[in-house]
Amino acid sequence: MTDPSPPAPSPEIRTAQRWNIVWVVPILAILIGGWLIYQNVSSVGPVARVRFDTADGIAAGKTEVRCRSVRVGTVEEVELAPDLNSVLVHIRMDPHAENLLRRGSRFWVVRPRVSGTDISGLGTLITGAYIEMEPGTSPEPWTKFRGRETPPTTNRSIPGLRFTLNADDAGSLTAGSPIYYLGFEVGRIETRKLDLAQNRVVYEAFIKENYRSLVTESTRFWNTSGIDISAGADGFRVRTPSFQAMVSGGISFGLPDGLPPGKAATDDAVFTLFPDESSARSSTFNPSLRFLLLFNQSVRGLVKDAPVEFRGIRIGRVADISFNYLPSSLDQRIPVLIEIDPALLRSETANNLSNIESTFLSDAVANGLRASLKTGSYLTGALFVDLDYYEDSPPAELGTIGELTTVPTVSSGFAQLEAKLSAILEKFQQLPLDETLTKFTTAADESAKTIAEARNTLKEIESVAQSAREILDDPQFKAIPGDLRKTLDQLNTSIASIGPNGPMQGDLLRTLDELRASLRSIKTLTNSLEEKPNSLLFGRESSGNPTPRAPRGR
Amino acid sequence: MTPPRAIHRAIASCHTCGLASPVSLGKCPRCHSTLHLRKSNSIQRTLAFLIAASALYIPANILPIMVVAEFGDVLASTILEGVAIFWRKGDYPIALVIFIASILIPVLKIIALFWLCAAASGKVHPSPAALGRVYWITELVGRWSMVDVFVVAVLVALVQLGALMTITPGPAALAFAGVVVFTMFAAMSFDPRLLWDRLESLEKTKTSGNPPAP
Repeated sequence: MTDPSPPAPSPEIRTAQRWNIVWVVPILAILIGGWLIYQNVSSVGPVARVRFDTADGIAAGKTEVRCRSVRVGTVEEVELAPDLNSVLVHIRMDPHAENLLRRGSRFWVVRPRVSGTDISGLGTLITGAYIEMEPGTSPEPWTKFRGRETPPTTNRSIPGLRFTLNADDAGSLTAGSPIYYLGFEVGRIETRKLDLAQNRVVYEAFIKENYRSLVTESTRFWNTSGIDISAGADGFRVRTPSFQAMVSGGISFGLPDGLPPGKAATDDAVFTLFPDESSARSSTFNPSLRFLLLFNQSVRGLVKDAPVEFRGIRIGRVADISFNYLPSSLDQRIPVLIEIDPALLRSETANNLSNIESTFLSDAVANGLRASLKTGSYLTGALFVDLDYYEDSPPAELGTIGELTTVPTVSSGFAQLEAKLSAILEKFQQLPLDETLTKFTTAADESAKTIAEARNTLKEIESVAQSAREILDDPQFKAIPGDLRKTLDQLNTSIASIGPNGPMQGDLLRTLDELRASLRSIKTLTNSLEEKPNSLLFGRESSGNPTPRAPRGR
Repeated sequence: MTPPRAIHRAIASCHTCGLASPVSLGKCPRCHSTLHLRKSNSIQRTLAFLIAASALYIPANILPIMVVAEFGDVLASTILEGVAIFWRKGDYPIALVIFIASILIPVLKIIALFWLCAAASGKVHPSPAALGRVYWITELVGRWSMVDVFVVAVLVALVQLGALMTITPGPAALAFAGVVVFTMFAAMSFDPRLLWDRLESLEKTKTSGNPPAP
């Protein structure tokens, strides 16, 4: 044992150590704990409240919210809205997705959907529905949204051209209907709305970015839905688009021939949707030249937009048919206003036509240029206006009514037909009918003679028949059947003597019996000779028991 | 009179091999460990570990300890939620075990150690019997508080059934493990002999009337 002197104060020194390295541990612990809490709290994003019509397929705590199929949050709670007509879905956004909640963000439920154009959301059959969202374009934060029941067809963030189409009739076009260019799908209709104020249908259309340049200021859009059957002056036309467009409707667009494309269309541009391709193409007419035609005949079958042709080449259309163009009500002629597109003429001609000073048109009229109505289709009776030179037409001149120049017309169509008919009748009149008739009468006389001769021949035939009847009526001729019967009776009796009961039969039978007996005796003789050939010489040996023998040759 | 104490003779018990030798040697003659009369900075260390444990106890209880993904249905639950789930299901024993092992014991242990530290530094003056019992209980129950971490560790390792069911540890599991480890460190670094030193000096002051040594 060491001495008990207390060197105890030595440990006291250590108590003076105020700060120990061990204090790093609680500081670290606090930091770690604080970090854990902060991370957890900060990992909780904001809550968005979305109102849906129904919570079908949405489960609290389970249903995900996705943006372009990337998870950005989950449904935290589903509750019935106070008005009981909808449901409020509380969506807890992931913290990194906070900025997706903007004004204009769109939410919709992705469920399996089958429509005429596509099938989507089949994956949700297994995984369950999820909510897809699309952030709005406005940077303003927003937390209350109205959920959509149908998915928007195109994400607004997808680059492309978005413009408006105005149509008179919706037809079968709906949201999602494709837009074709040369039959190739380049875009879709996004929405359709009824504009009650303007009484038309307004579509929002989308063209993919790649095809943006196809749409220019001059582009014309037309409806290609369904089967288009039209009957006009061109005859019948049947046009069928692709099957999809037939089912779901579709829009085509293109640039009319000969039209400069113009500037590229901008977003929010407005176009007109034409009901069919021909109207879209004819809409390019720039009707700068207008003429009035006065017809002295019925214009039934001539409609607005009917073609105006020059020797079969279309140069314009009928703009209007109305009496209003005539100043006087006494005039019985029918005014038809036509429009001619100078772009369809040679530029020289067009210049001459548009120049009032020019004598081009009056010269042409002097040379016989006339307008006439012609039947485009005999089936439908549709008429069109034809411009042509008629050299034999009565002289006429250009006129003016109001500001409009009138081009002289000639009757045509049925009026021409009438004229031709009368010409034919005239020719009939000129035929040598009398001469022909006299020839006919002489011929008839000759035939009458022939008939008289024929009658004589008939009389002779009659007398021959008479003499034959006399022969038949002779009593000797009539006795012939009685003689015949007698002869037959004699024949009968002679045949009966030969018959089975006749005397000849009995004689024959007897003769046959005798013949059979003599044949038998010859047989016994030959037998005995065979047995004993010497019996012919020595006589028959009368043994008591003759042995029976089977005849040979059996 | 009390029997003579080692501290008065400057005899230290080796922390490593337990050999009693004079502290003036500096090093244990047997295992050459440094000799201390008492664990150095015991109360300070214990307090530091206790504070660390307390700091971690907060995230351990408010953050999810276990994330169960079942058929795509993800359920993250804290310790208290887990207790509530088992209680509602009617598994009262399991709920009680979890509650006692995960909430009650760590709290009690931390409180007990704080109290012992206070007693060792002379802030409170409990009876020696109470001190002894509290210290014994602290040592006894302390090791069981790791049960929860074990449960999570075992479940995470076992239940990995892909899409059917997957269990992953939540952030609270780390914090809770920290709580348990730090309370164990605190209990380890606490030198109970300080309690009796304090008691003795208290008795001395009672007899001599002098204030206790700092």
